Amino acid sequence: MNRAVRRISIAVLVMFVLLLANVNYLQAFEAGSLTNKPGNSRAFAAQFQYQRGEITTADGKVLATSKNVGGVYKYQRVYPLGPEYAPATGFDALYSSTGIEGAENSYLTGNSSNLAVRNVIDMITNKPRKGATVQLTLDSNAQNAAWSALQATGKSGAVVALNPQTGAILALASYPSYDPNQLAVLDGNQLNANDNKLLADPAQPLLNRATDATFPPGSTFKIVTSSADFSQGANPDTVVNAPTSLQLPQSTAQLTNDNGEVCGTGNGKATIITAFTLSCNTAFAGIGMQLGSATLKSQAEKYGMNDPNLKIPSPVAQSNFPLEPDQATTALSAIGQKDDTVTPLQEAMFSAAIANNGTLMKPYLVQQVQAADLSIVDSAAPAALSQPVSPAVAGEVKTMMLSVVNDPTGTAAAFKNAIPGVQIAGKTGTAQNGANNSGLNDAVFTCFASNGNRSMAVGVIIQGGGYGAAAAAPIAVGVLKAYLENG
Amino acid sequence: MSSVATSEDATLGGMPDAPVPMPRGRRRTEAAMLVFAVALVAFAYANVGFGLKGTLPSGMAEYMLAFIVLLALAHLAVRRLAPWADPLLLPLAATLNGLGIVMMYRLQESGRNGNPGQVITTLSSSATTMQIVYTAIGIGCFVAVLALVREPRVLQRYTYVFGLIALILLALPALLPASISEVQGAKIQIRLGGFTIQPEEFAKLALAVSFAGYLVTKRDVLSLAGRRILGIDLPRARDLGPVVIVWAVSLLLLVFESDIGTSALFMGLFVCMLYIATQRTSWLLIGFALFVAGAFAASKLFGHVGERFQIWLHPFAGQNAFNNAYQLVQGLYGMASGGIFGKGLGGGQPYLTPLVQSDFVVTAFGEELGMTGLMAILLLYGLIVQRGLATSLSVKDPFSKILAGGLAFMLALQVFVIVGGVTRLIPLTGITTPFLSQGGSSLIASWMMIALLMRLSDTARQPPPQPIQDEGMTQVVNLS
Repeated sequence: MNRAVRRISIAVLVMFVLLLANVNYLQAFEAGSLTNKPGNSRAFAAQFQYQRGEITTADGKVLATSKNVGGVYKYQRVYPLGPEYAPATGFDALYSSTGIEGAENSYLTGNSSNLAVRNVIDMITNKPRKGATVQLTLDSNAQNAAWSALQATGKSGAVVALNPQTGAILALASYPSYDPNQLAVLDGNQLNANDNKLLADPAQPLLNRATDATFPPGSTFKIVTSSADFSQGANPDTVVNAPTSLQLPQSTAQLTNDNGEVCGTGNGKATIITAFTLSCNTAFAGIGMQLGSATLKSQAEKYGMNDPNLKIPSPVAQSNFPLEPDQATTALSAIGQKDDTVTPLQEAMFSAAIANNGTLMKPYLVQQVQAADLSIVDSAAPAALSQPVSPAVAGEVKTMMLSVVNDPTGTAAAFKNAIPGVQIAGKTGTAQNGANNSGLNDAVFTCFASNGNRSMAVGVIIQGGGYGAAAAAPIAVGVLKAYLENG
Repeated sequence: MSSVATSEDATLGGMPDAPVPMPRGRRRTEAAMLVFAVALVAFAYANVGFGLKGTLPSGMAEYMLAFIVLLALAHLAVRRLAPWADPLLLPLAATLNGLGIVMMYRLQESGRNGNPGQVITTLSSSATTMQIVYTAIGIGCFVAVLALVREPRVLQRYTYVFGLIALILLALPALLPASISEVQGAKIQIRLGGFTIQPEEFAKLALAVSFAGYLVTKRDVLSLAGRRILGIDLPRARDLGPVVIVWAVSLLLLVFESDIGTSALFMGLFVCMLYIATQRTSWLLIGFALFVAGAFAASKLFGHVGERFQIWLHPFAGQNAFNNAYQLVQGLYGMASGGIFGKGLGGGQPYLTPLVQSDFVVTAFGEELGMTGLMAILLLYGLIVQRGLATSLSVKDPFSKILAGGLAFMLALQVFVIVGGVTRLIPLTGITTPFLSQGGSSLIASWMMIALLMRLSDTARQPPPQPIQDEGMTQVVNLS
């Protein structure tokens, strides 16, 4: 009988080895994939057990903080300034997170490997664990100006302001926006109800128009076309054809200037600076056809377009300039129509590159990360993204952009003395929109200015706003003023 | 005894035989290991308090004192009633029982008294106290079994009585109205007032004793008669009777009480004991084939059995993880979040798994003690099983051999079925985790099983009776 008992012992051994091996597999090897399964509430609930780090502006305004509410999820996220900063902060909900909350999650939760040593020390010294504080580059004056101006228009649109020398994002506003507090509720049913309401809203409040949506740049693209032309030897005083009406090749379409206006003296010729100041479509369509689509595309890409990988650190939607198949569409693309689309951030980047003598800095939103013990664990290192134009060409384009505001005939002449003692350089755009251009025109404006101490580049797009000079430029100038006069 | 080379000299030299060395009872080892078990449980208990609130848990002194008194009583009883019993069985059972109480306290406190977590509504706020009361009853029954069964062979006398008791216990819930017997779709309990009894827990023990008694008397005919086909000794058709009866009963259990786990347990127990008694592989094959055929047929015929298979194979498919596979998936998530070293007692979220205190208690250990802790718990079970099998090998009389082997295997099978079920090694069937799950019946029956194993090991390790007097040297008389 002992033989049978011995055999049963072996069977029992096999059973236990199977159990041990399976536990090993489950908890050591499969644990990661199980943790990342959608619907695994343990993984996301764990982060609500600790105090998440704060998000602040560069000047110390608290944008997101964690409040101890007790209960299953100990800490609830609070956004004191709600919709104004929502496009930047994003939200940290039970099941997902967006914006800085998503991109900087490992610092905010304190799980980052950069914080591992501190966590161990905190555990030994029995200090409550707390995530790191993420300080953004946003300036609260500039952001306030941008947000209240957008609110005042009541139209959907966005404003992005950059420090041209570093790439730091000084303002990032999108309208309409949403209150992230509604998505920070810890009651799953309430969260779903709030989320569904926001998703169903036809005004698309959850869409971050500043970086996640693209619009036609309209005449502001003439900055790119001029850049390409000047890089090939032309200068602002080069005389080009500027007819009142231009027959597009292989097409019956007639391209005209706004309202069929004549360009310059009316002899069909104009200097490039005159055409730029008056925003003559025919002149730049001609320059574009002469340069060719490949040259324009290459110049546009140096300004940051066609880049699907830009992150600030949240991913930014790609601004598009596809290769055009023929002269007619090349002509249209040279004046920022046809297939050209840009984010408001890209609009600001056009000006920022010119303002920074032709060097485009990589835009970024996080200034520094400070651990709970106040030590700095990460801080921004400004880096060049590209060199779209030489400093000389940048100077020439700057001259033209100053002329847009300073010349009495310029499209933005109304803002000549908007900020006492500060020269504004800008370019208006009024982009045709919708099927057969049936929609209201988008108002676009890109500009930059410096008071010697501070400088800023701004991009504004107002959907259906009409003329860039009328709807977009006042907002941009307001943001410039708020920033330059408070520094 | 002296060695062979010198035996002649010794005899001739007139030296008296050295007395047969008394095997040591090893009760001191048991006492030392019990101290270790108490220390481990006390540490775990304190750990829960620190994990939840950062302080010692409030009722710790009382709970630990009760635990220590109960173990001291058990140890004293063993000293008196089974002095040669295996010294590890009691400490192993005590450790598991103690960890079970600690986990019950941890789950009971979740969300209550200002502790973090969610309140487990299916677990009352007096669950820990009840578990201690059940432990007291369990240890009482442990002592009673040791006191009443002074000699294992006494049980053999009541072979058919135990068989009848087992059948009545099993049939009772099926015959009673669902209102007092149904729990989660399975009719396996009897509710009396505020208490529930799961008769099958006790039926298991009665059946083991009954099987052992039956097989001892019938093993010759079961193992010798028959024909040999394809290298396998097949039994005679009429000898298949008892196997078919047990198979039928286990299938009836499946059909009327929707209890796959227990039916597998009974089938496994019977086949294992049959194999020890007859040593014939054919019984293993026949038993296994019958069970698989029955289970397969049941999975096709009865929705809930087939569903268990679907949950096992595809827990994450479609909406399964949010519907019928929810409990299993939550248990897996818990174990995954525990990882290798666990979240620490009080640090995890075991309350997210529904009814974690009963069938899924192992996942709570996996979550909070991690892979290392769970493997240690599995090894505790493995050691109890190993002690049982070692007893079976060393005990002399066939009845005790079959019974010890069967009890040890049944424990192993039960752990395999429930731990394998919640870790998705095999389809999940709801049976209790011995010593760890909430509930009195399982705990009391487990302690009775430990008492039986200790009685058997006491018999196995008992020294043979000593000669009453030294008869002195044999005189060699020359008759020439």
